[in-house]
Amino acid sequence: MSTELERRLEELLGAAPEPEAGAGEEALHRALRALRPAPPARRGLRTAALAFAATLVLLAIAAGSLAAAGALHVSFGPKAKARPAATQLSVPEGADGIAAVVDGRLSVVTRGGFRLQGLRVSAAALSPHALYVAAGISRSLVAMAPEGRLAWSHRVRGTVVAIAWAPDGLRIGYVVHAGGRFVLHVIWGNGTHDAVVDRTVRPVRPSWRADSLAFAYVGAGGKAIVYDLAHQSRRVVAAAPMGGVTQLAFSPTGAQLAVAGRRGFAVEDRPGRSFSKRTLVVGIGWLGDEPVAVGSGGHAILRIDPQSNAIAPKRLVGRAIGFQSNGYRFVVALRSKGSVRVLAGTWSSYRLVLGLPPGTAVRNLQIG
Amino acid sequence: MREPSDRDLVRRARRGDREAAAGLFRRYWRDAWRAAFAITGRRSLADDVAADGFERAFAALERFDERRPFGPWLHRIVANRALDLLRAERRLADEELPEIPEVAPVHESGDRSLLSAVAQLSLERRVVVVLRYGVGMTPKQIAATLDLPVGTVNSRLARALEKLRELVELEHVD
Repeated sequence: MSTELERRLEELLGAAPEPEAGAGEEALHRALRALRPAPPARRGLRTAALAFAATLVLLAIAAGSLAAAGALHVSFGPKAKARPAATQLSVPEGADGIAAVVDGRLSVVTRGGFRLQGLRVSAAALSPHALYVAAGISRSLVAMAPEGRLAWSHRVRGTVVAIAWAPDGLRIGYVVHAGGRFVLHVIWGNGTHDAVVDRTVRPVRPSWRADSLAFAYVGAGGKAIVYDLAHQSRRVVAAAPMGGVTQLAFSPTGAQLAVAGRRGFAVEDRPGRSFSKRTLVVGIGWLGDEPVAVGSGGHAILRIDPQSNAIAPKRLVGRAIGFQSNGYRFVVALRSKGSVRVLAGTWSSYRLVLGLPPGTAVRNLQIG
Repeated sequence: MREPSDRDLVRRARRGDREAAAGLFRRYWRDAWRAAFAITGRRSLADDVAADGFERAFAALERFDERRPFGPWLHRIVANRALDLLRAERRLADEELPEIPEVAPVHESGDRSLLSAVAQLSLERRVVVVLRYGVGMTPKQIAATLDLPVGTVNSRLARALEKLRELVELEHVD
């Protein structure tokens, strides 16, 4: 028999809201992608087999003719196996760890064997040597230790949209989206002493100087600003690409700062002195003391010699949709017709670390 | 024309028929979302959990025993996903259990105290309460959804109601 309490519960909990139309569309798209492909019909198979056999015969005849003419070397033997697609993120040789946010979910793996996959986050960043990972979860900034243990959690007044750990691991700069504004904070690496640095900034990941005593961020006006922690002073960076700064990267050993916008990038090698290039930029970073930018609309990584300004390009198969470097290694996400691939390594040696279905969104790439 | 049965749609979807799969989706999306919302109490999580539930269900359609009804199977996946997510959040963010502020507009103080009492229940008890009174499932359906014996569901419900009475009365005394 229904009691008064049960009646009240039904009334209170039964009036649940309805899902929004947009959520359903997106969910349907995701669900259909998970559907196993239909096995081909028998007749289709037979037709395909016949066509394949006919093609083989024609090819054999053509190859035979060419071989006879000495124009083609024909050999038969075991075929090289196709390299399997990496469906799980793996750490490239020599790196401490790698992280990415894939379709809104964190994927992180470290050399020590820590693997975390599937946690919904708004932003993420590895600590130096990939000992910890900091992530925006719900309305908290959370630090997780290698064994998946929660190191600490700090409540914030909004959503964390960008995180950067200082090279010495003692501080974290992060941007929170709250009340229609983006607010820049700095917090100690143990989750205490949180302080607001700037109440109106752009949602760009800050970049720390090598000595961890200053960091660069993008102010509300789109200009790069260097904040000095020791003197609590700010300096607006003169070097500015057209259309405002969208990415920042301090060099790994010195105080040179690379800033990038959509249509170009600039490098400040000392305060007030800079050089710039105009190209469609997707990402920016450093390899040693040479700035690198993913330019040409995402089809090449450009490595710049700071002495001569000469550019060494590395062409990419596909279009880059994300790029990051730790000063020695880089990680790049490439979109092509049939897939999204994440490659990582050094300038001379890099490999596939993650293969994803086409249309997958990848952001917050980081190699440690 | 007669609507195709769940069984027909499942069979066709298994063969890769996207129209049939979309038909199943449209038939169960609202219920799956409401179940996810009832458990998580947050729109953003409900969107994610329900979408995840369908994704997992469609990926596992090969293993689904088509003699059984599709709805409870899907609900079980959604409910488990929601519980996993809440447990992970609780473990990682050390947050309080999500409140249920969006469930219904609260006008009276009595409703507000009851809502706050529901939020204070343990996760296991709160889930059976919201599935029973929010989604309207029978104890048997809840048992099938959460993969629990019906007796366990009934005892969790009874204990939850007892606790709610206590909490609401305490509030009145205060």
